[in-house]
Amino acid sequence: MDISIKQEEKRVISRTSYQTRRRLTWVIFMLPAIAVYVAFMAFPLFNSMRLSLYTGQGLTPERFVGFDNYVRLFTNPLWRDAWLNAFGNTWVFFAVHMLVQNTLGLLFAVLLTQNIRGRSIYQVIIFAPVTLSTLVIGFLWRLLLNPQWGAVNYTLEAIGLESLTRPWLGDPSIALIVISLVSCWQWVGLPTMMFMAGLLGIPDEVIEAAYVDGASSWQTFWRIKFPLLLPVIGIVAVLTFVNNFNAFDIIFAMAGSRGEPGYSTDILGTFFYRTAIAGEHPVARPDMGMGAAVATITFLVLMVGVSLWLFFSRRREVEL
Amino acid sequence: MTKKLFLAFLLIAALMLSACQPAAPAEEPAAEEPAVEEPAAEEPAAEEPAEEPAAEEPAEEEPAEEPAAEGEVVTLTMGSWRVDDVEQMNRILAAFTAEHPNIVIEFDPTNPPEYNAALRTQLEAGTAPDLFYLRSFSTSRQLFEEGFLVPLDDLPGLRENFSEASLSAWSTEDGTPYGVPMIAVSHGIYYNVDLFDQLDLEVPQTWEELIQVAQTIQNDGYIPFANASGEEWTIAEIVFMNIAPNFIGGREGRLAYLSGERCFNDENVVAAFQAVADIAPYLPDGQEALTYYDSQQLFLLGEAAMWFGGSWDIPFFESEEPDFEWSIFPVPPPEGQEQAYVTFHLDAGMGINAASPHQEEARVFLEWMTTPAFAELLGNELPGFFPIHNEAPPLTNEHAATFMSFNEDRETDVRWAWPVLLDGSPDGYTLMQNGAIAVINGQMTPQEAADALQEGLAQWFEPAQTCGQ
Repeated sequence: MDISIKQEEKRVISRTSYQTRRRLTWVIFMLPAIAVYVAFMAFPLFNSMRLSLYTGQGLTPERFVGFDNYVRLFTNPLWRDAWLNAFGNTWVFFAVHMLVQNTLGLLFAVLLTQNIRGRSIYQVIIFAPVTLSTLVIGFLWRLLLNPQWGAVNYTLEAIGLESLTRPWLGDPSIALIVISLVSCWQWVGLPTMMFMAGLLGIPDEVIEAAYVDGASSWQTFWRIKFPLLLPVIGIVAVLTFVNNFNAFDIIFAMAGSRGEPGYSTDILGTFFYRTAIAGEHPVARPDMGMGAAVATITFLVLMVGVSLWLFFSRRREVEL
Repeated sequence: MTKKLFLAFLLIAALMLSACQPAAPAEEPAAEEPAVEEPAAEEPAAEEPAEEPAAEEPAEEEPAEEPAAEGEVVTLTMGSWRVDDVEQMNRILAAFTAEHPNIVIEFDPTNPPEYNAALRTQLEAGTAPDLFYLRSFSTSRQLFEEGFLVPLDDLPGLRENFSEASLSAWSTEDGTPYGVPMIAVSHGIYYNVDLFDQLDLEVPQTWEELIQVAQTIQNDGYIPFANASGEEWTIAEIVFMNIAPNFIGGREGRLAYLSGERCFNDENVVAAFQAVADIAPYLPDGQEALTYYDSQQLFLLGEAAMWFGGSWDIPFFESEEPDFEWSIFPVPPPEGQEQAYVTFHLDAGMGINAASPHQEEARVFLEWMTTPAFAELLGNELPGFFPIHNEAPPLTNEHAATFMSFNEDRETDVRWAWPVLLDGSPDGYTLMQNGAIAVINGQMTPQEAADALQEGLAQWFEPAQTCGQ
């Protein structure tokens, strides 16, 4: 009897310790992933933040200056104006994408989920530019918009709208909008696909019920489809935000690294590239430390933006 | 169980270490630095003491190889940003090896936009080539001051074969040379000879005549000048700085600005910007968005009669074979000014890496670069790029020879912004570029552009702050 109790006790003890151990086993399975994440994501990220506290020429700045790069970036009028200009332009770039790319994407998605003829052809046409290289798109549109032999001005003249022809990429007041629209043209297929997937995910019963209740298709869209699509819209908005604030390629392809004309198309991506990697023509003395500071600020902007979205989308979920 | 856990940890630690390894070597120099720096950091002038050890580092790291024994072939590497010239440079270097069989030189160029940063990284890490191309003026002077370049005071043939003005682009302020002048580019106006004949036009001899010629061309339905501001550097480098020497009085005039004798908004500078304003009505439609390439095509298609351009485009224009005859004339001086000037820009020199184990052989090569034989070889292998040698060699390329002939009865100078004015911010180059573009697009008057130049430079350039006194 005595022995059996002891054995029982022992078994209980070993079971609990086994259970705690078992509860912690997942840590071991996580470690490889964490190791890879630390080595290839967290370490470079923190290293680039560390770099922003140094100054010097070459690819590894070595003189520690504390927050001097940040102070210079925001107090020296030359740096501050250039950064503010790029920051403002990035917001314009983002706004055009939200207004044009995502609205059109939603419109196309709604149309493509109706039973229209040649649906898959339209789908391919809308999605095709996404698969092309941005450099190819930039080159193509540069040709189309060329004031001497471009098709855009040529077409306008042919239909009697000479007054609308202009050097599209040479006018500081419209160049950024024009390039943003080209970018929208390229990427509109992505939100279209995502919205389509979201719309197809809405159960038919709900829509049929609305139909039976006598809702017009306008009402069906605003009262039923749109609210159910909100999570997808949120994701698309956040993706657009992140992509636009990290954008570089389309501006580089169409307006060069200086955001010509006169920095009017300069965004954070090109500003970073000039500061950290290429330097200003013709001296080409890149400042890696300052570049890291610019990148860190961009990262913070993105982090705040995404966190805000997470916060509000969580709250809405709770409300729902 | 605990043993297994421990093993798992070991494995993961090993994985992490190996993942981090590629980054480790790059970290090392940076990690060493703070140790050197800390004592110096207390002094206000921390920069210099901190930088000197950095400069010496590569020299120490380099395994001190003995100079090659006689008969042994030494291979030197040559860094450059001229990726287009590989074939030609290989022929030039082969000619050198034919004379010096024990020295072989490998030409290993980097893309131009990355050249400066890549070279500096190589120098700091001790992996730089033995010989490398040097940008003119301050970019290379900085390398010399940090100890990456060998002084060339006693290089035979250097002072005999190059003018003081040429040497100054690769010398310290007190005249210690650290590079052999190698390549210059010239500037002028390309013109369609057939179209000029057809419209019965003469090559203009004064600026005023040039504008009249442009007017005639425009009246006949052609574009007078193919230049455009869609690519901004072209306005700075091949329009404004091409025109400027004739209005500010060449090198002498330029030095007067650098010494503070003249202000950057005096009448000469206003006249230079006015000259840009003069040609603005004769640029192609939509020039705000036309690129360098578009401009070239307008000229090559025969739609534009003239193009402010640089000599480096000779090979391109020749390869395009337009169906008309073309030539070049120099930018004419304003009426009543006898002395004419041409922008003959010193572009590339050659220096020796201070950490190279083959100093002797490298000096042999640099000495060869000072000979007329090298000048002739270079000038003919690379039409449009000119040797800087005192005795200009005869050039076989007709268009290159035309460019070279401009120098005969004109004084030459480098592009205005290059010496000194690039050393601060806002730099002279950007200010001149922005001013010239604003003048072309009618956003500024020439006087306003000159005032902006003076004001911008006065922010950091002392002579501009106290000028004109």
